[in-house]
Amino acid sequence: MVERQSPLEPEFHVGSHGNFEHGVEIILTETGPGSIMQLAAWPGEEKKLIAAIRTVTGLALPDGAGGGLSDGVKSVFGFAPGKFTVADEAEGLADAFAKVVTPAIGTVTDLSHGRTAIRIAGPKAEWVLAKFFAIDFALPAFPVGAGRSTTHHDVFAQIQRTGSDQFDIYVFRSFARSFWKALCHASEEVGYEVQ
Amino acid sequence: MLITCPYCGPRDVIEFTYQGDGNRDRPDPASQNFEAWNAYVYDRLNPAGDHNEIWQHSGGCRAHLRVVRNTLTHEILSVAFMRGTHTSTARRKAEDKS
Amino acid sequence: MSPRRTDTGGRIDRLKTIRFTFDGAAYTGHAGDTLASALLAKGVTLYGRSFKYHRPRGLLTAGVEEPNALVTVLKGEVREPNIPATMVEIHDGLVAISQNRFPSLAWDVNAVNQLGGKILSAGFYYKTFMGPVIGPLKGTRFWMFCEHFIRRAAGLGSAGSAKDPARYERMNAFCDVLVVGSGPAGLMAAKAAADQGARVMLADLEPRFGGSANWSDETIDGAPAADWARRTVAQLAGRDNVRLLPRTTVWGYYDNNTLAALERVSDHKEQPGKGEPRHRYWAIRARSVVLATGAFERPLVFPGNDRPGVMLAHAAERYANEFGVLPGERIALFTNNDSAYRAAVALKKAGAAVVAIADVRPEPSAEMRKLAAEAEAEIFAGHAVVATEGGKALSGLKLQRFDMANGSLTGEARSIHADCLLMSGGWSPTIHLASQAGAKAEWNAARQAFLPPKSTQQWPTQHWIGAGAFTGSFSTTEAIAEGRAAGLAAAGGTSTPAALPTVEAIPCDPDPAPVFEIRAKGKSFVDFQHDVTAEDVRLAHREGFVSVEHLKRYTTLGMATDQGKSSNVPGLAIMAEALGKPIPEVGTTRFRPPFAPVSIGSLAAERFGDLKPERLTPMHDWHLANGATMYSAGLWYRPMIYGHAGETVEQAYVREAKVTRESAGIVDVSTLGKIAVQGPDAAAFLDRVYTNMFSTLAVGKARYGLMLREDGLAFDDGTTWRLGEQDFLMTTTTANAGKVMQHLEYFLDVIWPELKVHVTSVTDEWAGAAIGGPKARQILAACVTGTSVDNATLPFMGIVRGEISGVPVMICRLSFSGEMAFEVYSGAGYGTHVWEALIEAGKPFGLVTYGLEALGTMRIEKGHVTGAEIDGRTTARDLHLDWMLSKKKPFIGSAMMDREGLIASDRLELVGLIALDNRPLNGGAHIVEQIDEVNPHGSIGHITACCYSPALGKHIALALVKGGKARHGTRANVSDPLRNRFGPVEIVSNHFFDPDGSRMHG
Repeated sequence: MVERQSPLEPEFHVGSHGNFEHGVEIILTETGPGSIMQLAAWPGEEKKLIAAIRTVTGLALPDGAGGGLSDGVKSVFGFAPGKFTVADEAEGLADAFAKVVTPAIGTVTDLSHGRTAIRIAGPKAEWVLAKFFAIDFALPAFPVGAGRSTTHHDVFAQIQRTGSDQFDIYVFRSFARSFWKALCHASEEVGYEVQ
Repeated sequence: MLITCPYCGPRDVIEFTYQGDGNRDRPDPASQNFEAWNAYVYDRLNPAGDHNEIWQHSGGCRAHLRVVRNTLTHEILSVAFMRGTHTSTARRKAEDKS
Repeated sequence: MSPRRTDTGGRIDRLKTIRFTFDGAAYTGHAGDTLASALLAKGVTLYGRSFKYHRPRGLLTAGVEEPNALVTVLKGEVREPNIPATMVEIHDGLVAISQNRFPSLAWDVNAVNQLGGKILSAGFYYKTFMGPVIGPLKGTRFWMFCEHFIRRAAGLGSAGSAKDPARYERMNAFCDVLVVGSGPAGLMAAKAAADQGARVMLADLEPRFGGSANWSDETIDGAPAADWARRTVAQLAGRDNVRLLPRTTVWGYYDNNTLAALERVSDHKEQPGKGEPRHRYWAIRARSVVLATGAFERPLVFPGNDRPGVMLAHAAERYANEFGVLPGERIALFTNNDSAYRAAVALKKAGAAVVAIADVRPEPSAEMRKLAAEAEAEIFAGHAVVATEGGKALSGLKLQRFDMANGSLTGEARSIHADCLLMSGGWSPTIHLASQAGAKAEWNAARQAFLPPKSTQQWPTQHWIGAGAFTGSFSTTEAIAEGRAAGLAAAGGTSTPAALPTVEAIPCDPDPAPVFEIRAKGKSFVDFQHDVTAEDVRLAHREGFVSVEHLKRYTTLGMATDQGKSSNVPGLAIMAEALGKPIPEVGTTRFRPPFAPVSIGSLAAERFGDLKPERLTPMHDWHLANGATMYSAGLWYRPMIYGHAGETVEQAYVREAKVTRESAGIVDVSTLGKIAVQGPDAAAFLDRVYTNMFSTLAVGKARYGLMLREDGLAFDDGTTWRLGEQDFLMTTTTANAGKVMQHLEYFLDVIWPELKVHVTSVTDEWAGAAIGGPKARQILAACVTGTSVDNATLPFMGIVRGEISGVPVMICRLSFSGEMAFEVYSGAGYGTHVWEALIEAGKPFGLVTYGLEALGTMRIEKGHVTGAEIDGRTTARDLHLDWMLSKKKPFIGSAMMDREGLIASDRLELVGLIALDNRPLNGGAHIVEQIDEVNPHGSIGHITACCYSPALGKHIALALVKGGKARHGTRANVSDPLRNRFGPVEIVSNHFFDPDGSRMHG
């Protein structure tokens, strides 16, 4: 099988950077899921879609706007009314969902190539992300598993908190390199490592 | 200014796009009533006070929102999804009488 | 006799010596010094020259409100002008210079302006330079002549032109309670709110928290106030729910408690840390705000009040107690209130002689007399200062008996020898942020000050609670009580905690005598920075300016970089007196952001240079590696040409277009907007959105579609592919992708919520390569597996799925170039792989890569429209696309498109042009019937796109021309006076090349 090319490649430099002599407080990496799906339910069909997500991924979505969870391999979160992003390390999620999400429930859109997933982790993750996004990253306001849709200038981002100090950011592929460069730049003052 | 998106919560106005006066009614697509079309496309209310506005949370969940906002104080009195809250006819007529 | 450093005292570190330069001379100071305190400690009294008159000026204050001592700080080639020396923390290697002087600060040629004082009074510019030319010395033409000299003579520091390499950042913050100001009130508020568990941010523009506690002689809970402050700050610093922001000026108060602040992160360091920004712009969204911003002391207005050595009383107290610097050895005071007596005691304690206290009040209280005795100072009750003496430093002053009931001066003037005069004209609460937030200040006659309103009268979208001197409560005891109450209320707390800290302070009446000005002979300054005198204010009144807003603009009072922090109230008082009205009836102006100057860099933050967001296609790196010259199209970067060595841009695109038409060419079309339109009602929705039918489109086929706006004008075009019964892939122009998406979302959300359709941007999901030319099909046949690409399997507008080099692809046969052409889509992550496979397969056929220029050339030859023609003013008919307007159904824009003006016969219509003089044409050039180079007129249209056409061997263009089609075959002229290009053209059909499409259909 042909390997997928990462949009970050020429700017992806494994190792420690910035002010790392004083300690590395940020870890940056690309998670590169095999599948990134967008699922959208017709009004009133949300529960059936959530059930379908559970059937395919085994993940039971919590109630409420922006709710989500991750088991480390598969992740799911709501990002808009009736709309969810599902990511899986493995490819082929599109086919699995095509079988269970009937036209009566909603639609399945494959964005496995169209979105790039960047993970930022470490004690200064909230600090660095606050430089980009005007949303509250504090744990009580943004619990583990939850998702948020927001924007940094023209760069749309869906962000899922996958740990108390870990966030997965889904950005449009075409913007990914530019955003990655900005993220590295913003992490310099606290010292960061690319893995 | 902050707008409290019913899905995303309070967000900065930079995440939103103003989509115009929310008091307009689109005529029936097949309608040949030119005056009604003209009113829909070009007439805008511009009240000094509470105003019925449409905003899109374009930098977030992308839902269109019905926002009642005071144009003098910028106070936002209510926010709701546009979907399922299509009530502009009543508002417009009430204001026309006044 | 001059200012000097005291041996003990102050909160500076005498063991740490810091070296810096001012105007080229080397100085030393200590850690904790500001530039102002360090220079003052070295006996420097002269800091700048004034704006208009070039009068020598010294330090007036010790803080952000400083109007006189403005300096330029140099960092390498980068210069930052107009920074108050009182706000510059010294560090090793600091280089600062004074401003508005030539050739030097001590000897300034423009000081001669002082002699012309009458001429340079209020309205000088308006009177001299505006209006009609009468004689040689009036009017705007005279201004143009004088401007150069005036700009040089009047003004502040000059900005640099070197690129600023410093880093600036933006930071978003959220908190329950933002406390602005860290004096006793602010500290108590922060502590009380934090104790309630609230998320608290505490910001102060000074490097050291504590505000007045840092320099008052008071004790709190038995310890010096500064120690109490330090302890309280340490407690706060240890808490997870508190963020401390020193060196942070909260400068803007916006709707819904959104506040803007500037943190000076590394200005005080010789070198910023690695990756550390210079400034950080904080956008703070606070649930509630506590304003504990304190108060500014006001100068008194009297002749010579701007002489170096004349300083605000609290500033001297601050220099002595906080920095261990005496501003003079023989100090006199001039006051209308009690607070200056504290300064007298403090300076005496620090080692100065206090030679006189002139108090405008006839009967200072017994407590004040006691303080004067403690300071060993003689009180001159019912006296005023009527003159000051000295040049670059104060040498003495004159006192005269003063009756504050009528302002009269009587008796002989009495000379007093002093090297420093401290003045106090009362205090004005720092209400700037509240005023920005819409609060209407109220005049308080007792305090002689504008106070913020009670919180019940606030603007509905801002919620703040005031505490301390900000509310007019000038004592520390009140500040502590109000601070805690404010912090509790802001955090929504109700519990009553332990007893308040106890304050030991000198008793002090907060109410000053209502005296603002001593009217005697000589220039009395109201606005020090803009050189506005009391006489200027009265002149404005005499000339008919009665509104305070007009007064401000006419005299420029309060319009300098200090925004009238010290001049506002005295100016109003003088105006009120001239008008014969009480101050509240004159009113005050509303303060606007910013509270203090803000660096532009911090506002631009990271959206600058390399960090601007950009969009790259999946094949971007391949293009760069293969000689492409990139072109920015919106945020996208696209190849313009793949130039060979020595080729011009025109040679390159002509070659690329020619080879494409002869054999084959390939172009990256990944930037085209792509929108997945899915759902049971998708086809019906597209019928409403497009002018033509899509419900009739078969699965596996594509169709060209046109969209109109609601007003009937053309909006966007592109092909839409039916991938499944309920599954469409819409393509849009690159430029309109976002707009079309928003348009579709609007109609689904707002107009037709009943339609079951989802739209999703999938632009980035697909890499797109368009391959066209007589040999394109052969090339595909050579590399595509899993499907045939022959005419039967893949007819015009057909879609097939197959594989190229192991990667699944979708191929649609459609053409923009007019050749037999195919668009090959693959997952973006495979884009380069597929692209390279196509290039490899194309080698035996002479395949060429082409860029935007060749793409544009071939589309002009074919007469296809783009955004240059769909410009928001053209209709489908103007562009000869009326064949696409379905009569079988309504669609967006159908009701409005037939309006009279949109179907008029003289509208601009799309035509082709051929240059008859065989010279290049220019986009934007006008078309005329008759050339008139001297007086160009009579435009009948304009060129929208042009190129050299290799297919025709001619310079051609597309144009929008009045009555276009009717002019086919006629001659006209291009008239382009800006580029001096005139010449004949022939008007032809826009379909220059292969008009019947035989090449495309094969």
